[in-house]
Amino acid sequence: MNAPLKEREQALMGIGESRLRKEDARFIQGKGNYVDDVKMPGMLHMDIVRSPLAHARIKRINKEAALAMPGVHAVLTADDLKPLKLHWMPTLAGDVQAVLADEKVVFQMQEVAIVIADDRYIAADAVEAVEVEYEELPVVINPFDALKPDAPVIREDLAGKTEGAHGARTHHNHIFTWEAGDKSSADAAFANAPVTVKQDMFYPRVHPCPLETCGCVASFDPVRGELTTYITSQAPHVVRTVVSMLSGIPESKVRIISPDIGGGFGNKVGVYPGYVCAIVASIVLGRPVKWVEDRIENLSSTAFARDYHMSGELAATPDGKITGLRVEVVADHGAFDACADPTKFPAGMFHIVSGSYDIPAAHCSVKGVYTNKAPGGVAYRCSFRVTEAVYLIERMVDVLAQKLGIDKAEIRARNFIRKDQFPYTSAFGFEYDSGDYHTALQKVLDAVDYKALRAEQAAKRADPNSPTLMGIGLVTFTEVVGAGPSKMCDILGVGMFDSCEIRVHPTGSAIARMGTITQGQGHQTTYAQIIATELGIPSEVIQVEEGDTSTAPYGLGTYGSRSTPVAGAAIALAARKIHAKARKIAAHLLEVAEGDLEWEVDRFKVRGDDSRFKTMKDISWAAYNQPPEGLEPGLEAVHYYDPPNFTYPFGIYLCVVDIDKATGETKIRRFYALDDCGTRINPMIIDGQIHGGLTEGFAVAMGQLLSFDEQGNIQGNSLMDYFVPTAVETPKWETDYTVTPSPHHPLGAKGVAESPHVGSIPTFTSAIVDALSHLGVTHVDMPHTAYRTWKELKRLGVAQ
Amino acid sequence: MQVTLDKQYPIAAPLDAAWSVLTDIRELATCMPGAQITEQVSDNEYKGAVKVKVGPATAQFTGDIEVLGIDADARTLRMIGKGADKSGSTASMELTATLVAAEDGSTTLQGKADVIVNGKFAQFGGRMLNSVSDVLLAQFAANYSNKAQALAPAPDTEIGETGMQADTSAGEAAAQAQQASAARRAAPPPPPKELNAFGLIWAVIRNFFVGLFGRRQG
Repeated sequence: MNAPLKEREQALMGIGESRLRKEDARFIQGKGNYVDDVKMPGMLHMDIVRSPLAHARIKRINKEAALAMPGVHAVLTADDLKPLKLHWMPTLAGDVQAVLADEKVVFQMQEVAIVIADDRYIAADAVEAVEVEYEELPVVINPFDALKPDAPVIREDLAGKTEGAHGARTHHNHIFTWEAGDKSSADAAFANAPVTVKQDMFYPRVHPCPLETCGCVASFDPVRGELTTYITSQAPHVVRTVVSMLSGIPESKVRIISPDIGGGFGNKVGVYPGYVCAIVASIVLGRPVKWVEDRIENLSSTAFARDYHMSGELAATPDGKITGLRVEVVADHGAFDACADPTKFPAGMFHIVSGSYDIPAAHCSVKGVYTNKAPGGVAYRCSFRVTEAVYLIERMVDVLAQKLGIDKAEIRARNFIRKDQFPYTSAFGFEYDSGDYHTALQKVLDAVDYKALRAEQAAKRADPNSPTLMGIGLVTFTEVVGAGPSKMCDILGVGMFDSCEIRVHPTGSAIARMGTITQGQGHQTTYAQIIATELGIPSEVIQVEEGDTSTAPYGLGTYGSRSTPVAGAAIALAARKIHAKARKIAAHLLEVAEGDLEWEVDRFKVRGDDSRFKTMKDISWAAYNQPPEGLEPGLEAVHYYDPPNFTYPFGIYLCVVDIDKATGETKIRRFYALDDCGTRINPMIIDGQIHGGLTEGFAVAMGQLLSFDEQGNIQGNSLMDYFVPTAVETPKWETDYTVTPSPHHPLGAKGVAESPHVGSIPTFTSAIVDALSHLGVTHVDMPHTAYRTWKELKRLGVAQ
Repeated sequence: MQVTLDKQYPIAAPLDAAWSVLTDIRELATCMPGAQITEQVSDNEYKGAVKVKVGPATAQFTGDIEVLGIDADARTLRMIGKGADKSGSTASMELTATLVAAEDGSTTLQGKADVIVNGKFAQFGGRMLNSVSDVLLAQFAANYSNKAQALAPAPDTEIGETGMQADTSAGEAAAQAQQASAARRAAPPPPPKELNAFGLIWAVIRNFFVGLFGRRQG
């Protein structure tokens, strides 16, 4: 029993160990259980009739031909949902959204009617048989056009509503104008600035495109009055609350189960019309109803990301010290404001836009606009618009460096918030918890030999015969994750805490149930590691269960890199409650005072006496058969953690590209990513998360785009056009780290999954622009496809 | 999805014969495989239909076409068409077609059209619309040429090469081949048959097609 400490520690596979992912055994054997794997007796299938037009009045819907088909059970339209008052539903952003188009359609692929049939194929055929006659209306795709006085009215249902969920509406297509920072001090900084720069940029509409599309199986039991729904949701408890509010079924009779999820990336946070329709259909028909989107539906109608038209300005001294920042954004939210942001933040955490820099005066304003496009906006591996914010500030710092002729690494070092300034309150009011940017930057510059890279670039530029242009991208970002303190953050009025319940069984194994839900993050692996370290129970015998609202404590779910910062803390604190009780039991068993005990890896021992101890396993048994007098039996605890602050992970990313002068083809020669996410719970999983995030960042920067033509036809909504990188396109990633723990998190951990996405995207743009900067280019909009880059080269006279 | 077309096709028939086909909207419609005029509503308004088969699915597009003007002196026809299928996908087209006599006694058809396609086909086929239009128009021109040729009086002079020489970006080898083989046919044109599309590329044609012979909506 007295194995060496180190050995005992390793046996636990706790915090800091690269424990193999517990989930992989089932995933790599095809033994996962996704929504589409759920089959229930008597289950029917739903498919959706969608609008082929972006803006049109519905003149007539003829269901007859569809209803006449054998195997078709029902065809429902908005008119059928009206008596139930379910043809519209509230969005998380304080707007309403049509469940099925009510009198008119406002974006292409909008849900118009549903068909319920015996199988998926009959349903699809019946969708074709539903006749819909439309009267075309003028379409508005560009948010600037949408704000013109004579622009088409997209939302007739809001006629006369001059007050929205986030303040005054000044135009029929205007949703909100949201501001942060101090305008007068920012304006003053600009008024007296010796140097100013301004740059417009467009962060285009993209889609996270998770491999598994959205779907659900709704099963209403008319006898018990209970509704069970399997759903691909990143926030099952939120779905339960929404479903209860919409349907009137008591929340205690609604059970939402998120089974295995094939990637979420924010696409699976919201409540989609398809879910509501499947639930209604199940209630109406008294049978289980399955609905699973196809790829085109997923890309066309569910939560997209970005679509921010941004304009940034920096004021600075001649030696590059930034004195002011101003940002204006026109945000294209599509036809309904269905952003999944914390309620009070219609632009999410966009005001992290001052980045890693000590900027004394700053102001930003975001104007949300309706257009004839699908609703959504905050998806895609991003903590509520942090991606857009980081893109803007990092691009602006490059632009300033270029104007002043200062190296982009140097100008960053001059403006960083210094280590001794933490905790640091930004001009926008965020309190950055910890950071050490200078050390991290230097580590990266040394690792890649930055000076040598710049020398090589200079030599290539001097050589007219060089077939390529070389560019070096550098980004030094700070994220704000772990939403969030409930004094600031809520969804539908529910504070954004998260929760954990741990039960230690008599024989010393344990189960933890969580309010979060893994979608590839490896919670079952990493959460167990936290408990292992906190309680001295081997992670191998700790089960982690998530996603079933009937068993898990209430939590706000997994998105915005909040699982480790919020739920991870809940685990630690629930474990510490158990730890405290275990200490009492150990003292009782060893017949000493609690104060005479010390904790050592997996046991309490009498201080200074290695031979007198009780392991956690001993204590677990005792908790159930001989607890000390006055102490209730059992060994379990639940903790709801309301974080005191966000966490602020950061990173330094450097990228080297070579652009073919003739074709515009860009080769990512090198990508070096240093991340600091505080305490590292499982380094292997962190590396995996970073590889995944970098690859998605690469996808966004280099190829992804949801574009629309003037008539609102979505272009490229299948994988034939929409770029999803495979191993063939993906460059090699080099990762590195520093550790600056969060001072307010019980474990010092900060969250990591989104950093590589947020940080890498501007790094690619920075590299592309760097390759062209000697030609006077200050910015190029994404995606940096070969064709677009070639056009730029042609404009510059580089390519033929 | 909007495409502007501006093309020229040689027609193996004299100007008068070509003109009489151009102004006979019923005849003109059948130059597009699968299309026909189903009803004449007034002097210058018609209803038309296009039947399209894509794999196992058959779609029926119906629409209105309105002749905006016939200028016999300038040999110019202007018309507008708009149509929709049952699901609500739409297409419209504004066409100006002009005939010019060629030196060898044949005719050149000049067509300018603004085509707008909405719905499924605009989503999937957007980037191919231009090239597919080339193929489609080539088929149309070949059929048109044949019809005009059949109407023409027995030639007392040899009419020049009937091969098609589209002015636009070549590279549509398939189009040219089809065009040439169609044009070589001496017999009168076959009756309209449904457009049997066997791939995505043809699906785009379907919509374009509706634009050509669509209907005008309210």
